[in-house]
Amino acid sequence: MENHAGFALLVASFCLIWVSGATSISNKQYLGIDPRDLSYYKSDVIKCINGSKKFTREQLNDEFCDCPDGTDEPGTSACPEGKFYCQNAGHIPLKIFSSRVNDGICDCCDGSDEYDGNANCPNTCWEAGKAARERLKKKIETFKEGIVARKKEIEKAKEAYTKDEAELAKLKSDEKMLKELVQKLKEQKERIEKLEQEERLKKEKEEKRLREEEEKSKEQEEKAEESQQHSTDSSHEQEILMDSHDREIESRNDDVTKTESAASDAVEQENVDSGAISDDAEGLSKEELGRLVASRWTGQEASEKKDIIGNVEEDQVSHDPDEHYGYNSETEENRAKYDEDDRANYDEDNFEDDQEDEYEDDNAVSDGSYIPDQYEKTGSADTTDTSNPSWFGKIQRTVQNVLHAFNFFKTPVNVSEAAHIRKEYEESNSKLSRVQSKVSSLSEKLKHDFGKEKEFYLFYDHCFESKQNKYVYKICPFKQASQVEGHSTTRLGSWDKFEESYRVMLFSNGDRCWNGPDRSLKVRLRCGVKNEVSDVDEPSRCEYLAFMSTPSVCLEDKLKELEQKLGQLTTMQPQNHDEL
Amino acid sequence: MMFVSPPPLCRLVLAVLFVFLFFFAAAAWKKDEFRNCNQTPFCKRARFRAPHSLPHYAVSDLAISEGHLKARLLPWRPSVDPVNDAGDPPRSLLLLLSVYQGGVLRLKIDEDYSAPSAPSKKRFEVPDVVLPDLEDRRLWLPRFFSAEDGAATSFYLSDGFEGFLRHDPFEIEVRREGSKDPVVSLNSHGLFDFEQLRQKTEGEDWEERFRGHTDTRPYGPQSISFDVSFHGAEFVYGIPEHASTSLALRPTKGPGVEESEPYRLFNLDVFEYLDDSAFGIYGSIPFMLSHSLKSSSGFFWLNSAEMQIDVLAPGWDNSTASDKSRIDTFWMSEAGILDAFFFVGPGPKDVLRQYASVTGTLAMPQEFAIAYHQCRWNYRDEEDVASVDASFDEHDIPYDVLWLDIEHTDGKRYFTWDRVLFPNPEEMQKKLAAKGRHMVTIVDPHIKRDDSYHVHKEASEKGYYVKDATGKDFDGWCWSGSSSYPDMLNPEIREWWADKFSLNNYGGSTPSLYIWNDMNEPSVFNGPEITMTRDAVHYGGIEHREMHNAYGYYFHMATANGLLKRGNGNDRPFVLSRAFFAGSQRYGAIWTGDNTADWDHLKASVPMVLTLGLTGISFSGADVGGFFGNPEPELLVRWYQLGAFYPFFRAHAHHDTRRREPWLLGSLAAEGELYVDDGKSYNFEHGAYIHRRFIFSDHKLTSYDLHSPPNVGLKKFTSGCTVERIILLGLPSGAEKAVIEPGNFKADIELGPLTLRAATSSVAPTIRKPNVRIADNWSIKVL
Repeated sequence: MENHAGFALLVASFCLIWVSGATSISNKQYLGIDPRDLSYYKSDVIKCINGSKKFTREQLNDEFCDCPDGTDEPGTSACPEGKFYCQNAGHIPLKIFSSRVNDGICDCCDGSDEYDGNANCPNTCWEAGKAARERLKKKIETFKEGIVARKKEIEKAKEAYTKDEAELAKLKSDEKMLKELVQKLKEQKERIEKLEQEERLKKEKEEKRLREEEEKSKEQEEKAEESQQHSTDSSHEQEILMDSHDREIESRNDDVTKTESAASDAVEQENVDSGAISDDAEGLSKEELGRLVASRWTGQEASEKKDIIGNVEEDQVSHDPDEHYGYNSETEENRAKYDEDDRANYDEDNFEDDQEDEYEDDNAVSDGSYIPDQYEKTGSADTTDTSNPSWFGKIQRTVQNVLHAFNFFKTPVNVSEAAHIRKEYEESNSKLSRVQSKVSSLSEKLKHDFGKEKEFYLFYDHCFESKQNKYVYKICPFKQASQVEGHSTTRLGSWDKFEESYRVMLFSNGDRCWNGPDRSLKVRLRCGVKNEVSDVDEPSRCEYLAFMSTPSVCLEDKLKELEQKLGQLTTMQPQNHDEL
Repeated sequence: MMFVSPPPLCRLVLAVLFVFLFFFAAAAWKKDEFRNCNQTPFCKRARFRAPHSLPHYAVSDLAISEGHLKARLLPWRPSVDPVNDAGDPPRSLLLLLSVYQGGVLRLKIDEDYSAPSAPSKKRFEVPDVVLPDLEDRRLWLPRFFSAEDGAATSFYLSDGFEGFLRHDPFEIEVRREGSKDPVVSLNSHGLFDFEQLRQKTEGEDWEERFRGHTDTRPYGPQSISFDVSFHGAEFVYGIPEHASTSLALRPTKGPGVEESEPYRLFNLDVFEYLDDSAFGIYGSIPFMLSHSLKSSSGFFWLNSAEMQIDVLAPGWDNSTASDKSRIDTFWMSEAGILDAFFFVGPGPKDVLRQYASVTGTLAMPQEFAIAYHQCRWNYRDEEDVASVDASFDEHDIPYDVLWLDIEHTDGKRYFTWDRVLFPNPEEMQKKLAAKGRHMVTIVDPHIKRDDSYHVHKEASEKGYYVKDATGKDFDGWCWSGSSSYPDMLNPEIREWWADKFSLNNYGGSTPSLYIWNDMNEPSVFNGPEITMTRDAVHYGGIEHREMHNAYGYYFHMATANGLLKRGNGNDRPFVLSRAFFAGSQRYGAIWTGDNTADWDHLKASVPMVLTLGLTGISFSGADVGGFFGNPEPELLVRWYQLGAFYPFFRAHAHHDTRRREPWLLGSLAAEGELYVDDGKSYNFEHGAYIHRRFIFSDHKLTSYDLHSPPNVGLKKFTSGCTVERIILLGLPSGAEKAVIEPGNFKADIELGPLTLRAATSSVAPTIRKPNVRIADNWSIKVL
């Protein structure tokens, strides 16, 4: 019995050896293959996955590349195109470039990529996996919270959107009615004016006749004046206006050209200065000379100067179209303003925007993100006076009254009534233009792409800030982004678009860099519970990159993916990990 | 000696690239800031002299002494002295001829310091450039022979060659034994001039002024000039560093030559240098190689003062029977002595071997150093470094070295770190090292004058700085602001400097950190021509003017020795330097400085790198992509393709440029693979990739190995592969097809199955080429 037992043991151990030997051989042969693909490799003749060639099982992982796509060498570095699969039990399985196999560097946490004995790779999957699981769990938490926040946000956004749409519709109808009203008032006004004029003419004729004999010598002058003052030929008037516009535009253009050439003179001057270092080197201190030469490489000092000049030029250029536009549509009164102070007024629109922004920024500063309540306030504050039905009714009534009260057949014209009509006309007209500007700004807003579920709608009126060292970065989605240092503000860009399916906000055409491109900013969005900007960076000169966490990108699908991954990580847990 | 080889991290796949082009406002080269020949009195005096117009020297007192041939050169005084502007009559000069193994003749001419009216100051002889064992290889001349009825003397030089000294006027010739055909000669046109040191005459003004800078020139005129003729030569090459689109040196003077400056050798930090100009840039090697199908020869003037060299077109001397198969050259230097080497050839490889026997061969680089290097001014912080490193992995693009430019330091105090940006430099390097990668940081010679900076404190206390003309520490402006420069001429100071690289002294350094020396011309932003004043004073009372071109060389040497010391001699150093001199190959790699991202600079990089290779600096390259400006996508792709052939392969960019790491090339990709031999992934039978391999014996590359022809066969690719080679060197003997024209190779050379086709300007058939199978024909065209 003992003998038999001994023999059996011997056989068993032989078998064990043989079996383990066989296992190791087949393990080696099937090295680097994704378990899901194992069946593909079971036949004796195997096709390259791209169909280009065939190879025998013996050629699998024989360190010679038969398939250009690397099918035959999943476990070696023989094929440049190959991928090596590491199981990484306890962590996430990984496919690495086959160039990493046996290159002396541990790439897989289970160390399976380094099997030739040249590198000692301990299995770190459990530990690394633990950390990964922790991170994943945390991320999942964030996503869960974020998804809730996102839903709320979307609800609010939709509400706000509907409201804005309704508002717009209302405004548009108001606009239409106001237009009619204004038209009526205008007609009345013109009629009154005509009457007045006729009256005046009559009166003047009378007076003229009376004075004719006494004032014969001045007759000519009087006539000229009259014809000038009372010319009612509107096309003629327009012509005159146009003429003067053109003239003024021309002269403005001249100004611009002058300023530009002055600016470029300055640039040239700058160049001359740095070029002529030593034409005038005696004039410079040694240190100044050193700094000047250094600035050629760094562009620092020169850049600042040039940046300023560049900005000036750009401002002028970019304002030119506005300017023309403004001229054609502005009233005479406004034109006078231009003449007085050309620069300040070009920016009227921008200026208002700025004020708005400042207001919102204040909110943003409080916690770096927006407060929904605030939005409603801001959103409605603007429209209170127009949207109030009692207001509109009132104005309508007043006008009706005025119109009815006026007696057109009575001469002479009732002076106080005429004044009343004029006043009403002016008021209604300015009301109309306010309503029109609101219509246009609201339609402008609604034109934007706010995401599939309008999840970015509430971003519209808000700015987000982040302080990095000495700079404060202000990001106002759909508007612009800037970098503020003390009192100086640099435009990083104006709103361009979303990219990468709403994961990136792009701002472009910011201030020009010396020796560089126009500044631009990419804001990469990632799921977070709050709206928060972090990590603003400048990877290339004047190309900025910021990260912003926001619930808006916390998507259910992604959460499912993460949960699946976590599930995988937990089920892949090696059973013997406790022993390790 | 043990040499540690890093783990092979060898494969370089270049997935190439995509970068926007935008307008780059080039401020361009500031011509006026640099002296031309006419503004350089010694050059202006010498350049337009007619042949044989000077009072000449004659040989006398010829004798053999300790195996040298010695003689005295007596000034010949005509009865009417035409151009003697100095008061003293010229003294005689001492001439010394020595012969070295392998076909090298050395000629020294210096003042006779034993003469009664001799100057108290000795002229500068450049130390530590010729190999220390050169003297061991000197042949002791036993005798000389009288020739031409006593009007000349000849002596043994090497098999097939003899030295020949004509007595009156003196002329030196290397010529073939038997046929007496001259090969190289000096003073054949009687242009030898030696301004002897002398007392200032009354009312004489020695000062020179240039753009607000005054050079006191306390020792007055001391220039040397002479003509050298290469007989039977069709082309001359060498004398870097100049940016040029032609490998062959174009004539600078003579009939049919557009007005040009002579080739200037004066190490300068030139902002946005031109791609084709004779003006001097960062480095200087006064070595010229002549070549024709019949023979090659070389001439090297060991002199580190400003040099100007004319290549003269046939007929320049108005001779009617001008010898078209001869190239005359004219050499001028501001100071120093005449210490020249003639190399007999006869083949180009022989000339290079002979030159290398004097100045040394390439230091064997570590494997990582010949792989791909990724640099930018600047990878800003540890995060940036980590992300660039990770992106290489993510895209499976191999690279071996990540570089940090000046911004990594604490206020440009070298050997320090900006601890906000780089709080844990050791950790950062270890992370790279764990993947077999290395880091390089920059260390420049301008030391910030800040008493709290330990390097400055020590250097100023020990008196280790170069002094200005008044004896105070020279104070110039550079990146670090007000700065001083360690006097690298002094061996003690070099030792001190070397110690700064020990792991203890260089805080934050690890054994995987290597060094980059920039600005070592030296660059001085507020100095004349952006460099140090010539009357600054070095060790032993040597004026900066005398050693200027070698300053960067000594700095490079001290740094390389520092790394050698750090590793107790067991870790081969890697130091990249911008400035260089003859012999720099012994201390590390050289790059061609701040080039520009345009096609012309791409083109010029080939002759520039090849010229460096021809003058001993085989380990060199140009910044891939171009330093200034943004390369258009195609230019960048082409530059990577060409860059794979530079022996030193690094991408670098100015901080104003867009990021252009290889993975940013996106869809515009030129796929390619670059292998550095890891000893196993290369499969000859199956036509795998062409490898690049260094051959070394005795842990040293020899010049022969370096320049031997490739033994390229379908199945044999195991030896003789060079770091770099040009067709000139790879010619099979007797190949008649290989006519090499200036700037234009007309060559179609069969090298086994590997056909090198060179249709256009220059070709760099190194053995490293992306995605090329050995059986494929391949060529690089540079537009």
